[in-house]
Amino acid sequence: MKKGFITLTVNGDAHEVAVSSRHTLLDVLRGKLQLMGTKEGCTTGSCGVCTVNNARGEAVLSCLTPALEWDGQAVTTIEGLEKNGQLAPIQQAFIDYHAVQCGFCTPGVIMSAQAVLNLTPTPGEDDINDGLAGVICRCTGHIKVKEAIRHAGDYVAGRKA
Amino acid sequence: MSSPDDLSVIGRRQPRLDGFDKVSGRSVFTDDIVLPGMLHGRILRSPHSRARIVSIDTSRALALPGVKAVVTNADAPDLLFSDQQPLLAQGFVHYVGEEVAAVAATDPLVAEAALDLIHVEYEVLPAITSLRKAMQPGAPRLHEWAPGNVALTHEKDFGDPDAAFAASDLVITDEFRSPVQHNTLAELHVALADFTNPAKLHMWTPTQGAPMYQMALARAFGLETSQVRIVYGNVGGAFTGRGRAKPHHFIAALLSRHAAKPVKIKATGDEEFIMFRGSGETQYRFRTGVTRDGRIRALEADVSFDAGAHAEWAMILWLPAPYLNWLYKVDAVRYRGRFIYTNTVPKGSHHGGIFGRLSAGWMQHLNHVAEELGMDPAEFHRKNAIEAGHHALDGSDFASCGLKECIDKVVERSGWKDKYGKLPPYRGIGIGIGAQASGGKNAANDTSAAMLRVADDGIVTLYTGIPDMGQGSHTVMGMIAAEVLGVEPEDIRIVGGDSDITPFDWGAFSQRGTFTTGNAVKAAAQDARGQLADTIAPLLGVAPADLEFAHRRVWVRGEAPDAPSRSFSFREAIGKAFNGVEGRSVMGRGFFNSPRPSGSLAYSFGAQVAEVEVDPESGAVKVLKVTAAHDIGRALNPLAVEGQLDGQVFSGMSQVLYEECRMDGGQILNPSRLEYKLPRTYELPEVEYILVETIDPYGPFGAKEVGEGPIVVTMAAVANAVANAVGEMLPQIPMTPWRLLRVIRYRKKRAAVSGP
Amino acid sequence: MLLPEHDFIKPRSLAEGLAVLRDAPPGVRLLGGGTDVVFNMRCRLMTPDTVLSLRDIPELQGVDVLPDGSLRLGAATRLTDLVADPVLRERYPALVKAFRAVASRHVRNMATLGGNLCLDTRCWFTNQTKEWRDAKGPCLKTGKDVCHAIQGSPICVALNNADSPPALIAVDATVTLASHRGERTLPLRDFYREDGIRHTVLEPDEVLTEVTIPPTRDRLVFLKETARQGMDFSYGTIAIRADGNGARATRLHIVLGSLTTAPRDLSTAGERLVALGLGDDGIDAACATIRDALGPLTNLYSPAAYKRELARTLLRKAIVELREMPA
Repeated sequence: MKKGFITLTVNGDAHEVAVSSRHTLLDVLRGKLQLMGTKEGCTTGSCGVCTVNNARGEAVLSCLTPALEWDGQAVTTIEGLEKNGQLAPIQQAFIDYHAVQCGFCTPGVIMSAQAVLNLTPTPGEDDINDGLAGVICRCTGHIKVKEAIRHAGDYVAGRKA
Repeated sequence: MSSPDDLSVIGRRQPRLDGFDKVSGRSVFTDDIVLPGMLHGRILRSPHSRARIVSIDTSRALALPGVKAVVTNADAPDLLFSDQQPLLAQGFVHYVGEEVAAVAATDPLVAEAALDLIHVEYEVLPAITSLRKAMQPGAPRLHEWAPGNVALTHEKDFGDPDAAFAASDLVITDEFRSPVQHNTLAELHVALADFTNPAKLHMWTPTQGAPMYQMALARAFGLETSQVRIVYGNVGGAFTGRGRAKPHHFIAALLSRHAAKPVKIKATGDEEFIMFRGSGETQYRFRTGVTRDGRIRALEADVSFDAGAHAEWAMILWLPAPYLNWLYKVDAVRYRGRFIYTNTVPKGSHHGGIFGRLSAGWMQHLNHVAEELGMDPAEFHRKNAIEAGHHALDGSDFASCGLKECIDKVVERSGWKDKYGKLPPYRGIGIGIGAQASGGKNAANDTSAAMLRVADDGIVTLYTGIPDMGQGSHTVMGMIAAEVLGVEPEDIRIVGGDSDITPFDWGAFSQRGTFTTGNAVKAAAQDARGQLADTIAPLLGVAPADLEFAHRRVWVRGEAPDAPSRSFSFREAIGKAFNGVEGRSVMGRGFFNSPRPSGSLAYSFGAQVAEVEVDPESGAVKVLKVTAAHDIGRALNPLAVEGQLDGQVFSGMSQVLYEECRMDGGQILNPSRLEYKLPRTYELPEVEYILVETIDPYGPFGAKEVGEGPIVVTMAAVANAVANAVGEMLPQIPMTPWRLLRVIRYRKKRAAVSGP
Repeated sequence: MLLPEHDFIKPRSLAEGLAVLRDAPPGVRLLGGGTDVVFNMRCRLMTPDTVLSLRDIPELQGVDVLPDGSLRLGAATRLTDLVADPVLRERYPALVKAFRAVASRHVRNMATLGGNLCLDTRCWFTNQTKEWRDAKGPCLKTGKDVCHAIQGSPICVALNNADSPPALIAVDATVTLASHRGERTLPLRDFYREDGIRHTVLEPDEVLTEVTIPPTRDRLVFLKETARQGMDFSYGTIAIRADGNGARATRLHIVLGSLTTAPRDLSTAGERLVALGLGDDGIDAACATIRDALGPLTNLYSPAAYKRELARTLLRKAIVELREMPA
């Protein structure tokens, strides 16, 4: 099909969205659903700022898949990490460990970090390096980003445990 | 007021005040703004390095449904981007990527299709696309007015260099080259213009400073500066890449005026590299004269910059001259610099300005000098290093200076003495030092202003024009205001990033933010506190100067902060002022401008040691550890200072080892974040930071800059460490595997020929 | 930049997909995870009329152990799932290393095995935006009789930059190609062609459905040299499979990747190593064959001289690793 409706569940909410074959998942999130937390960067898979999590909690690049491919699927974006008004542990850790500077890549970096934590709550150095190598944070050099991920386990839903 | 030694907020590891918005996806960047009726703009660029425009036909593009404006030079022949440069190409194009025409359409797809429908006929002309070719004797002229393709020159002598070289026991000369490098900002270049009311141009765009954008756009469109409003709420990184408005800003405005609708232009991934104005190819010749016992008598640098097709950034041409004065006690300094035209995009600078790339070569050269003298380079730097109270040849004065202490600290903490000259083959250690000015007068003034108001609930709103592009300036300004007023940083709301609202501030470049804007915010907070003290003091029967403000309380100095009926909470105090007979609304204002006629008031210093390992078989480099000691005055927010250091260590090693726009004629072969290599998680070294806190008499609470000083030193240390690992000075950055392998193979062959 | 308009088709079964390919005119592009194809569509390097998504076709999924001990890998299996597969991890750690070497974890969470095997060749005069290519002028791949990488080259010399093919070729993997006309199985080695434009033998109506790895107890080593660990295309890769143990081997299969248009077998080098053993003499003799085995190289992404040196380095390092493997 060249145009049509897809059903996409974003952060638990089901949406029926009109899309064309020219759109990617990123275009749907930003352009159609106005979820502006997910950023548009290089659009060629190299910068990672468009990272969202798929239904399995893995980091995927929303710029690199056609929207039509996502019919019937679910994604989590940066807007979906808060629960009951509380930041997710990884979000609070990013604030406390100064893993955020300009903030443009931050949604993509956090969704990548969350994917690492979805695999294991106590990631090792290689888990973190491998899980974050797909995003580029120009400001922090990833140094404090890695620190925040290492300490995310100290938090429960927005508070230090 | 609290004495400097009794600070309650300053010096605290304060998380960002905008952290919540940034981690939750709430922060709004320019591309997140969608205005009603907004059109999408695209730019048609020159495919040629040099050509005559024979004709442009836009009729088919204009006829495409959804296209609301198509502009070429014919629509705005007098609109200049810079002094000699029309905004849209006029008759000729001078580089690949030059703006030839632009369209605005209801949909990005239509805009893209419209570009394809503009027909431009070119007569291609021979082009000069490299610095080397442009400097060759007899090279054809790029511009009629520039013989030898020299756009500008800058020559400066301090002291008597000829005499100082003549008096030297040893004179060494080295050459060095740095490549085209791009800022690779996280947030791609973007501008949203609303020029539907011809009396007011609204522009949303990330910037390092609104005034330069306002002035440039106002001049181009015949407006007063205040008729241009720049909105820059969140700025996705800058790294010197957002100092000045670029053509897309002007084009968005022009399209908006033509179409009478808001127009957004954002760079596509590779367009970012085409419009970039990062640093150009640069050639350096360094000459140094020393006495036999290792005292530097004379320093000389001769630098040729590729300016691109237009000389837009004259500032970087003259910045090296004073820099050569700041580190060492020397008899004389000579600088010769020139800007050379080439048929490439106009150049500016990259993270670290001119100083980083210069240092990657200059510090290798000085290392070479030390080794020729048989001296330990760390000892050589220390012997010649300046101290507090030094008066430099260029007139700079250094009220505070911890350079020697920085050198001592990194030597000690890195284990330098046990490692230098003693490491196994292909392991290397290198030291670099550097200095940086905290703001400075490059124009008539270097002013930052600030305002704040205190609401009757005790919440303080601070208005500042300093952009927060990640460095954490808004948080540190909040801390300064909180410290002076005796409240907590969380009590400060920052209103920034809108030139219609915020008071004047040149912006965040030349490392002026913390120092200059910080002093302005401090003055504004003191003004407000003074107003509050004037109201409260009579109620307690003391003089205003006897009041203490801290921990959200106001009390009489020498008494208990919570003494009943002798003290107030801050909120009570502001209530007394607002709800009293006078009904005072407390509003503070302040500004700061260096009292010096030129140059800077304060300089930061630093020393770093880097350790690397080179794989002699593949040429790959691994940076193992960077030990950094920096005198940045007082660290107002150590957490953010570390963040600045992290980013600069990363970016410094990146520029020395990875970053290069690889050129093919006038085209960039690797215009993407995939092929323009920036290191990622695996490549980052272990870091250790030491803060040498000299308290500067002019800085706010003693602070100096930390925005660019460290990267300059990282580039020097990493370059020296790699040179140390392979055994000789490396004449070029980045030090890629193939360049290192070539050196390693050559040295092996030479060793085999000359025997053991 | 949005994608070029196309007809997007997502078949529910292999038969349905093959029927589409039977009926559709040329101009169908197969889509796995999209990480290569979507990238190239954005650059207008690919402007297919139809995109056929293979991602969810059930017949193309998973890892199975066949009765003879062979492994069957479905072509639409994601690289992430291959990296995590317990059987592969136990039997073929070097293969897992090769799958994990591809791009970044983000990409591997989307990219499929079939997609990596069919990854289009890359050239920095071609893999650019349309505007960029227009400025440089078209090439063999984009419609003109000119090669910008090697002047005068009659064929496209773009690089096969995929990481998994050398490792799979070294273990004698076969691929199955299906069409409405039937199925054919061939060695992966023979799947690739020395032509950057038609770089595989896949016919326009065929789909790569599975990869089969015959059982083996041989040693296998895979190495990748790249600018950045964890997210990059290779400067060069090598896979070596050998029988025996220590410095002894009677059969060696050496495959270099990312340096040439198709993965390159180093059979002469293998023979020298068999003859002289895997000691330093054998390595030197094998390295001496590299120049002839590689022939002319491009300056794409890294200089030709470096590529040649890198090939020797990879060979030396891989043999050292091989001979030091526990028996």
